[in-house]
Amino acid sequence: MLFLRILRALIPPTFDRRETWRNLYKVGVQSYAIVAVTGFFAGAIMVIQTGDFVGRTGATGLLGWGAGFAVLAEIGPVLIGLMFSGRVGANNTAELGTMAVTEQIDALRALAIEPIRHLVVPRFMAMMVMLGLLTCIGDLFALFGGALVSQWILKVHWRVFYYGLIESHLLHEFLVGILKAACFGLSISVVSCYFGLRVTGGASGVGRAVNQSVVASAIGIWVVDLFLTWATYL
Amino acid sequence: MNGKDSSEPMFIERLGAPLGDLVRTLREIFVLLGRTVRTVASERADRREVVRQLFDIGVESLLFIGVTLGVLGVISLYQGCTQLERVLPDFSRAGATYLATLVREFGPVICGLMVATRTGSAIAAQVGSMVVTEQVDALRMCNTDPVRYLVVPRFLAGGPMLLMLTIIGVCISFLGGMLTARIGWEVPYSTYVNLTMVHSHDVVMGVLKSLSFGYAIPIIAAHAGLSAHGGSEGVGAATTRSVVNCSFAVIVLDFVISSSVYLVVN
Repeated sequence: MLFLRILRALIPPTFDRRETWRNLYKVGVQSYAIVAVTGFFAGAIMVIQTGDFVGRTGATGLLGWGAGFAVLAEIGPVLIGLMFSGRVGANNTAELGTMAVTEQIDALRALAIEPIRHLVVPRFMAMMVMLGLLTCIGDLFALFGGALVSQWILKVHWRVFYYGLIESHLLHEFLVGILKAACFGLSISVVSCYFGLRVTGGASGVGRAVNQSVVASAIGIWVVDLFLTWATYL
Repeated sequence: MNGKDSSEPMFIERLGAPLGDLVRTLREIFVLLGRTVRTVASERADRREVVRQLFDIGVESLLFIGVTLGVLGVISLYQGCTQLERVLPDFSRAGATYLATLVREFGPVICGLMVATRTGSAIAAQVGSMVVTEQVDALRMCNTDPVRYLVVPRFLAGGPMLLMLTIIGVCISFLGGMLTARIGWEVPYSTYVNLTMVHSHDVVMGVLKSLSFGYAIPIIAAHAGLSAHGGSEGVGAATTRSVVNCSFAVIVLDFVISSSVYLVVN
């Protein structure tokens, strides 16, 4: 329902540009550090896990392929999406929820400002764009982390890791990963705004709404992931 | 730093501020952990409260874990088999390989992340709203230690429940993968169910991971909740912080345990 109303509000694209820029900035700056660190560890963990299989067969050239594929197509976007939903989605619900509890949203309505257009649409745009871009950064850090771990823990030279990565032609997977991330951003923004706008009942209401919002966002991420994985291989 | 450039210390200060925050938060979390462990060791926990928390953490997350881990199984087998098709069209080891990674890595980590999301935010929201409505101060006034009353039951419930959720999650995920492999690639069930690639150190690693996540999440979430201040805005901020810190702790602990077990085994 809210999703349709957002789309309807988008049709004459007269949303508040300054508010959108402010949101883009806030979303990006809030979460780039956490995305970078998450990406770093995700890459490192995937290399260790692949390393176990590679170590048994001795095919170190496959290390870049295995870890790179897992990170770019699947683990990178999903982990970054989950962290993003915790950081930005939850924050968003808390913010909108506080506005709802303190009747600021009713005040906006009284001033004939449509809350969907003023509050939700900029966030929607910002999260979709930013999660896609942040996933690029996260992927970069993941590959960096993977190279470091393959050098230090697996004792596989980082060049072997990168050659394996480059030779396996993962551009398609990378693009699918970015597409997934943008769709996660979309679902996170709709879910978190929905739960934020319908908060009732003071401080504990806000807490409960944030809880429900992150749970629903996580389920949303998995379901979107399932559909996109299925759709991109058709 | 030599007095000529006044912007330099400010820059360093700004660079160091998040690090300082991180160190402070970590220290506070370890202090809380220490107090919790001491309370657990010295006093009997309220058994009814522990049972209620076991129910809250375990049973309430069951559906959530089932859905997410089931979807994970379907996706992983789908991705894995489409990749295998390109390299070597031999699916006889797909199930065994998937089970090994599931037990060692994805089961505990994804369950941990999901519990961090669900239970972590719930604990922070409960404790945080008790803090801002001064119920925690009221507890202190009644000479009840908030750590003993609020944190200890959640701490005791977290470890065992996450372990059980992980076991259930691994089974559901494995089943999801089995159906995918059967429908998509006609892998017979008897070929798919193959336990030969799961070694004892994989199981130890999985159990170790899920137990450490299970004990870490309640402490971190309770820390975020107890440090809430202000009204509804404070509760929202505490809940956000809790989700981020808990998920982050899961990822870092996973890395630490994975790499140390890898180094020990090899």
